[in-house]
Amino acid sequence: MARLAPCGRRLLAIAQRLLAIAQRLLTVLLLLFIVLRVLPADPAAPAAEIGATRQQTSLDEALPMQFAIWLGWLVQGDLGHSSHLDRPVAGLLAEALPATVELAILASSVAVLLGVAGGLVLFALQWGGWQGAGGRGTGGRGTGRRGETRAALAETGTMLLMSIPAFLWALLFILVFGVLLAAMPFTGRLDPGLSRPFITGFLLLDTLLVGDPRAFLSAARHMVLPAVALGIGFAPLVMRVLRASLIEAYQADYILQARLRGLSEEQVLLRHALGHAALPTLGLLRAQCGLLLGAAVLVEVIFAYPGMGRLLVDAMRNTDLSVIQGVVLAYCAVVLSANVLIDGLHLLLNPRPRAR
Amino acid sequence: MSLLVARGLTLEARVEGEIVPVFRGLNFALESGRALGLVGESGAGKSMVGRTIAQLLPPGFAVTHGTMEFDGHDLVAMPPSRRRALLGRDIAFIPQAPQAALNPRRTIGAQLDEHHARLGVRGRRDLREYALAALHSVHLPDPQGLRGRYPHELSAGMCQRVLIAMAFAGRPRLVVADEPTTALDATTQAHIIALIRALQRAQGTAVLFITHDLRLAAGLCDDVAVMYAGDIVETGPAAAVLAAARHPYTRCLQLANPRMTGPRRALYPLPEQMPGLRALARLDGCRFAPRCPIVAEYCLRTDPPLEGTSHRAACIRPGLVPAITVAAEVAPPPWRPAGEAPVLALDGVSKHFVTGGFFRPDRVDAVREVSLRIAPGEFVAVVGVSGSGKSTLGRLVAGLEQPSAGRIVLAGQDVTAGGEAARLHRVTAVQMVFQDPQSALNPRRRVASIITQALEAQSAPGSVREKRARELLAELGLPLELGVRRPGQLSGGERQRVNIARALCAVPRLLVADEITSGLDVSVQAQLLTLLHRLRQDHDFALLFISHDLAAVRHLCDRVLVMHQGAIVEEGPTETVFGWPRHDHTRALLAALPAGA
Amino acid sequence: MTVLRWLRSGRVLAGLLAVALVLALAVLAPAIAPHDPEAQDLTMTLQPAHLGSAYPLGTDALGRCVLSRLLFGARLALSVAIPGALGAMLLGAALAYAAGYLGGRTDRLIGRAVDAVTLFPPLILILILVFALGAGPTNLVLAIVLVDWTRFCRVLRHEVRVVVQRDHVAAARLLGFSHIRTLAIEVVPATLPLLVTLLALEMGIAVVVEAIVSFLGLGVQPDQAAWGQMIADGRTALHQAPANLLAPAAAILVTVAGFNLLGDGLGRKLAARLVEDRA
Repeated sequence: MARLAPCGRRLLAIAQRLLAIAQRLLTVLLLLFIVLRVLPADPAAPAAEIGATRQQTSLDEALPMQFAIWLGWLVQGDLGHSSHLDRPVAGLLAEALPATVELAILASSVAVLLGVAGGLVLFALQWGGWQGAGGRGTGGRGTGRRGETRAALAETGTMLLMSIPAFLWALLFILVFGVLLAAMPFTGRLDPGLSRPFITGFLLLDTLLVGDPRAFLSAARHMVLPAVALGIGFAPLVMRVLRASLIEAYQADYILQARLRGLSEEQVLLRHALGHAALPTLGLLRAQCGLLLGAAVLVEVIFAYPGMGRLLVDAMRNTDLSVIQGVVLAYCAVVLSANVLIDGLHLLLNPRPRAR
Repeated sequence: MSLLVARGLTLEARVEGEIVPVFRGLNFALESGRALGLVGESGAGKSMVGRTIAQLLPPGFAVTHGTMEFDGHDLVAMPPSRRRALLGRDIAFIPQAPQAALNPRRTIGAQLDEHHARLGVRGRRDLREYALAALHSVHLPDPQGLRGRYPHELSAGMCQRVLIAMAFAGRPRLVVADEPTTALDATTQAHIIALIRALQRAQGTAVLFITHDLRLAAGLCDDVAVMYAGDIVETGPAAAVLAAARHPYTRCLQLANPRMTGPRRALYPLPEQMPGLRALARLDGCRFAPRCPIVAEYCLRTDPPLEGTSHRAACIRPGLVPAITVAAEVAPPPWRPAGEAPVLALDGVSKHFVTGGFFRPDRVDAVREVSLRIAPGEFVAVVGVSGSGKSTLGRLVAGLEQPSAGRIVLAGQDVTAGGEAARLHRVTAVQMVFQDPQSALNPRRRVASIITQALEAQSAPGSVREKRARELLAELGLPLELGVRRPGQLSGGERQRVNIARALCAVPRLLVADEITSGLDVSVQAQLLTLLHRLRQDHDFALLFISHDLAAVRHLCDRVLVMHQGAIVEEGPTETVFGWPRHDHTRALLAALPAGA
Repeated sequence: MTVLRWLRSGRVLAGLLAVALVLALAVLAPAIAPHDPEAQDLTMTLQPAHLGSAYPLGTDALGRCVLSRLLFGARLALSVAIPGALGAMLLGAALAYAAGYLGGRTDRLIGRAVDAVTLFPPLILILILVFALGAGPTNLVLAIVLVDWTRFCRVLRHEVRVVVQRDHVAAARLLGFSHIRTLAIEVVPATLPLLVTLLALEMGIAVVVEAIVSFLGLGVQPDQAAWGQMIADGRTALHQAPANLLAPAAAILVTVAGFNLLGDGLGRKLAARLVEDRA
């Protein structure tokens, strides 16, 4: 077969990925179906209630048939009807999904910003202001030992920070900033009295689109504590990845060669070393996606933030099956989209062909 | 005035709490426009000389005495900013591993532009022209296209040319080349050396050429300096040093190199190896004394300085050096009865690999229709450049790959199909000695346990294994206490011997050795080749010796097969093939050898 | 011996102490708890912590002893975390070795299974499994095993692949070892440090999961002593009896940090053993 140009090769890789995605989606739907239909605590439930879903009338059919019917409804966009809230599930999700995604994006940004800043500071501390051309060996032996103790302490500190789960951070922030200092709001999304515009579902964006600066500020203020509480738990991970990739980069031969060509330490760091950290950080984000969304559930509950997490927890308390189903599906869709996006970014940034 | 002068230069390192001298009291001088070869085996300290010039030392290393003057100014005492200004402009470096030396995430063009910008070129058009000119100066094809490529898309040789272009771009006064050809094929090696020589002559640059290969240095450089355990033991004009060495180490090094011409004499077996960093601190007297064939009482107590005029050596008995020789010729192979069945028979064996994704599979023909016979006890070599398929052939014979076509008959049994019966038969028929001892030896096991693994597989009792371990260690010339150590505590040569011992324990009829001497020091390689000759006398096994080192092949093997792009292009008795090559590729391989080999 | 050498690491020591402390308290809870954790005394509600008194850490809104609930909460947390983590490890590791060593179709199949399960945010999947299976610690353990095995599998499989490429594994096969023996002798020991680290980290994660599930009131019986539930209840009592919230929060912190330090430290020590032996 003829060799394709790099551009063509990339398009082909994307096509292959799309096929893989479709496969995964199907597997997920199957799994979801099994979990919710086949397991014990199942809809022997309120078939007679108002708002009983049409799905429950198909219980008589064989399981594979039920699955096919369910798939059919999904494809048409019918996610069922909430028995508890008496609204179509799709509508509930249309409000909750963007809220959660907005929170997740903000939290990720916080994590990356804090992590990168922290990682750089940590790296500088350990290596005494970048390992570089020292004078008569003073840059050598001295920082070696001292640097190691500093590094060990920093690592232990990072480890301890990582041990604090997001919900404890949330409670701490509410305690300190919300109650004690009364500096930040910690419930809901907007100050009472302000109207909530709804165009895309992303509140910050919507308030800007509508041109309401007061609402924007209010929304922003309400998001600070939840986003930081969620993001700060992941910042140490970003720090670690950054530090590890910087260390790895600095041990690479091309860094030495760059120095031998006379580049200054700043140039070496910015142009050659930091680039090495981009891909691993991306890989970290991809791996942490699910964990971030999971931690967001509790943060939403604690801050009374109207996202998918709160929707899910309420639905579980009220045995609202259709909502549970819909929300879980939505979560999977979000994770899948995030994966696809990050994979795409990875492909763009990575000049090397995929390792065998 | 000399361009680069080292006076009493001492570099020390902090290794596990102790201060160890890496090299001490180093003195050498390099004139403008001349080439100096710094020769030494690994651990001699030569690589650190290059880094000392740039003052980019690893943590824990520091210059404690002496000076390194460039154009009259001491590089060590210079303020860092001034020194950094010299790098890349007046002093340039050519590295050892070309592909690792370039940033894998930036294009060749971007890295060239960065360097040229530092040299003062401004503007996109100028940068482009300079880049194209640079690539042209090192004879790289399609400079336009190359600018947009990434390092992993280029071969090692091409990357090295790019690095050479960058080094000479600023018209430097000094170029330090640290083992620039070690990672390259023999043919590419020759081209790179020629390129460096041409550029050096054209620009009148001084070159410091660091290498482990004395003949290579002598071929390229005007002067050579031989290093041993941190000291310069001999220095002088290249031709003089090569023809009439005045230090026993230099002479032994020459005698340890297998030759392509002349009678097949035994290699000089220098016992043990060069003292490591930590042992250095505890040695008094001449550092070479423990291994020196002409050692005297005096040598153990005092360290002799360099004596002589233009050709100097650090030895008190330079007169005795020419007398060091190896008398014996290589022993002929043991006699075997005629008409024995071959231990290995390959018929039309092919192997191809399919790479690439689902939509466009890519087929690589690694081995093409290879047929060969190996008689019992015969030592046969397979030579070729990397990518010729010789490693794959070895793996097919050993059973690590299944052939795509053809037949493999091993010790009388057809093992082509694979399967459990074939695998069990293979255990006593063929064993493999792997190339990389790091990956070939389980780092968590002790040596005694590793070498008797064959017995462990048969569930032999511990006492039997202990006894066999002792036997094997003695046979391979390893001290008994090595048995309780782990691979990480062994030197490269010792690890290779453990590798061989493990393979021999299973008493195979055929041994496959895949590049077992590459990356080893000359003296260690000599020990290994001598060992294989001795084992041949005492044991009954055939050897399939895969290598790119023609001289080693000539020394060791009766027959040789030349592989090129997966097929065998020439075969025959070693002397015949090397003396009267018929195929173009064989001729190319022989032509690439450094002069005087 | 080797155990003493491990203790030379500050991390291992600190982690071990923390975990051992919590473990001891959990095991001894029935013996050392001053009161029955579910006994209510409506006359003594929301008492603040007072170390010398009958209720050293005070009482909650239903007059139950905070200290006793804390101790029994430890019992619950560890009785979920330890089996859960072990189970996830066994399942995940077994599949990882199979995938890494056998490669080919097995690898692809297991990889797809991992991909499918990881499309669900782990906590979400655990929540709906608990919802579907019903409340109770056993079901929570099962849920953790069914969801978190992927974490082990993914990371371990990569490591196994790296080790399998090494020549000494091929050499063992050439010398006549069967697949199982080769795996056991050449591959598994090399991956042990990673396994140990992941196990300890997973225990910490499982403790947090248990706390979250009980915080949401989904996994345990309403009156049972659980750290998460104590935190949920303690939120409202912050002014009067802060220990209600702070004690379980601190307990979670100490336990999780202990497991993290232990895992990290042990992993380093075990991996460093390879480097120490080098000259």
